Amino acid sequence: MTVLARTWHRLTIPGRLILGLLILGGLLTALLAVLVIFSDDILTILGNNLPIVRFVVAATVVLLITVPTAFLIIYMEMKVIALMNLRVGPDRVGPFGSLLSVVHGLKVLMKEDFTPTGADAPVFTWAPVVVYLASVMTLLVIPFAPGLFGQDMNIALLYFFAMGGLTVVGLLMAGWSSFNKYSLLGGLRSAAQVISYEIPLTLSVVGLLLLAGTMSLNQMVLNQAGWFTDWYVFRQPLGALIFLIAATAEANRTPFDLTEADSEIVAGFATEYSGMRFGFFFFAEYVNVFVISALTVTLFFGGWNAPFPFPAIHLALDPAQLGIALLILIAIVPVLGTLIFAAPFWIATTMASWQALVLGFIVFNLVAVAAVLGWAFVSIEWVAGLLWFMLKTYVFVFLFVWMRGTLPRVRIDQLMGFAWKWLLPASLLNLFVTAAAIVVVDALGGR
Amino acid sequence: MTTTAQRPSADDPRVLLDQQLGVFEPVPPYPPRTEREAEFYSLGDGEMFINMGPQHPSTHGVLRVVLKLNGEEVVDLDPVLGYLHRGVEKLCENADYHQVISQVDPLEYVSSLFCEWSPVMAFEKLLDVEVPRRAEYIRVLAAELNRIASHSLFMGWMALDLGGLTPILWSFIERDEIVEMLASLTGQRMLFNYFRIGGVNGDLNHEFMSRLGDWMTRATEQIEANLALLNENEIFVRRMRGLGVLDRETALRMCVTGPNLRATGVPFDIRRAHPYSIYPELDFDIPTRSEGDCLARYLLRMDEIRQSLRIIDQCLNRMPDGPVMAKLPRLLRPRPGRAYAGIEGPRGQYATYAISDGTDQPFRMRIHDPSFIHLQCVGLLTPGNLVADTMAIMASLDPIMGGVDK
Repeated sequence: MTVLARTWHRLTIPGRLILGLLILGGLLTALLAVLVIFSDDILTILGNNLPIVRFVVAATVVLLITVPTAFLIIYMEMKVIALMNLRVGPDRVGPFGSLLSVVHGLKVLMKEDFTPTGADAPVFTWAPVVVYLASVMTLLVIPFAPGLFGQDMNIALLYFFAMGGLTVVGLLMAGWSSFNKYSLLGGLRSAAQVISYEIPLTLSVVGLLLLAGTMSLNQMVLNQAGWFTDWYVFRQPLGALIFLIAATAEANRTPFDLTEADSEIVAGFATEYSGMRFGFFFFAEYVNVFVISALTVTLFFGGWNAPFPFPAIHLALDPAQLGIALLILIAIVPVLGTLIFAAPFWIATTMASWQALVLGFIVFNLVAVAAVLGWAFVSIEWVAGLLWFMLKTYVFVFLFVWMRGTLPRVRIDQLMGFAWKWLLPASLLNLFVTAAAIVVVDALGGR
Repeated sequence: MTTTAQRPSADDPRVLLDQQLGVFEPVPPYPPRTEREAEFYSLGDGEMFINMGPQHPSTHGVLRVVLKLNGEEVVDLDPVLGYLHRGVEKLCENADYHQVISQVDPLEYVSSLFCEWSPVMAFEKLLDVEVPRRAEYIRVLAAELNRIASHSLFMGWMALDLGGLTPILWSFIERDEIVEMLASLTGQRMLFNYFRIGGVNGDLNHEFMSRLGDWMTRATEQIEANLALLNENEIFVRRMRGLGVLDRETALRMCVTGPNLRATGVPFDIRRAHPYSIYPELDFDIPTRSEGDCLARYLLRMDEIRQSLRIIDQCLNRMPDGPVMAKLPRLLRPRPGRAYAGIEGPRGQYATYAISDGTDQPFRMRIHDPSFIHLQCVGLLTPGNLVADTMAIMASLDPIMGGVDK
């Protein structure tokens, strides 16, 4: 060992670098060789277990996209609430402060991860994991675009509510294990609140299920294709309203954020958390906001459907038909484009020619990117679908942020009273009216 | 006490040395010193203590309240005061009459001018000084501005304690403008130190007048816009209505003054009841409300803002010319005697009772502060309500801990 260490120390820095790269290359080659040798077996195994592979890949991808989503929503909340408060908001890190939430994430990673004396350490550690995973797993069934979804289950909605209900377990774990009375109050509040609001939340979509005849979210979105009048919100307005309110409570957002009411019980269940464990709670909250917005869009606002039947445009240009002309185009178009876009700068301003050329090149690239995106939007189905879906979802995210900026918090008894006295009867009424309407329409031979 | 071995006293230094308190032990309640303490610090079935403050986000400073909870319901509470105690009265007794003004300034740090006004008035009575009329007008003008600043801050705090994020920043716009305005008049943003025995520290200046003129043109409109944030908010009104009802008799028995008393229907305002300064000449109303709940207290303060705007308008219209300071010797030695002066502040009656023994320092100075009185009502109003309501009730009574602890 000492010989190896001495040799390593004698090497110069480039030598160390080359040696490291050599070792890495060797390892990779060996791995590749193993893969090649056993490729048939590996492919067979993967092919035989395709659902599992699909699930693992989907879960990983979903886990990965939650992080930028949370960053985006956190930044959006900071900025939107700041503008509502007549403040400037974040404006230091990155353009318009847009990297601030990323920096917050890094800060949270670097903070001390503190476990209070007297806390139930394993439960205390696992609570944020449960909360975060519960909200991430709900994303698995959301259809983002045609063909772009984690899993197409026929019980997707049930799965969604089951996973959403898991959050409360995590919150209770956090509240109970923190060894803090504020945490305990927060945990118990969240248990009472989430369980109460699960009922109207679930009942509010039963009417929708009667209409749709399926629990698969994909199928529901397909049912809503066409004009925006086909969206379920116009056939289930009460259901949509109840769903939105109950989902707000389910995600612990203002005005139902009693579990972490900062002016009453400090930070509720998260009082004793610090570092990345708090970060998980924090992220989970914003992932939840995204998830409930996405589900509202999926169920009631047509999912990835455009609000009107988009005219199908088939570009006559097929690159394969061009043959040698394609190569010529590839060679000529950038140069020509750069020159064309540089010309106005060169003519109209007093710039040096190279500056005009650089500007022209930049403008050409922007135009090219826009053209490619436009082409993708028109011809690739899932790009357009994803765009519409995200647009609608972020409208609802904005709604939740808006509510946070505007509304005070309700009291716990008002919260429970509202769930049991108003939302539950209203959702039952919605269910009965829908069922009756379906029976009547069937009897009249409509549909 | 016969049962000395029950619990070690927390005041006993040996406790920490001899005995390691287990982490599951609650904060050791020292052997009860009164019957009330003994009653409070014994837990019933299903009850628990929760220690709110002194670092809690919404106790308006460094108030510590031990709540006895049954679930979410507050059974009883025990405020623990003194975290901000400076011994202001004693400090004043060791300062000469001019220095007293800077000592009493930080008492209620959001309405400093009123804290200055009552001792200054008491000393003027001791000295038999007549304050020039212009000085009186300037005092009323500045004080009413300060009242508006204090009340708009109250509005923001109230909303923040109920979970609303936006109103505090909106109300801070008004408050900041007023505070900047007063800073250009007095030189300080918070602890103005502006009133002097026999007048005020400086005449109105151009910056103050131009800022005030700018602000007055849009004040009413902006304040109404801020109020619309909360007054029409269903959640806010539902939480406040019928909460913490203070009835007329209790309010009088507890010596409650100011907006909290007027919200119970008693039209008692020192500006009218025991007129001082130039208030008899001014035309303004005493708004009252009969409900006595948190919403009434909130709305009453908002009505007072409108009346203050009227007063400011009249002051500006009638501002006389003349000196702003009476002719007084540098060193004040009032004749031996006693004087009392009470004024109407944004929270209630600020009063000073000063005794002079003929030297240049007050022999005894007693400061009556409304916050201390009002904080005692929290114990009456809160039991039976929920934890969240504790904040709402406390915020609606609007105590400032600097004044409570003195």
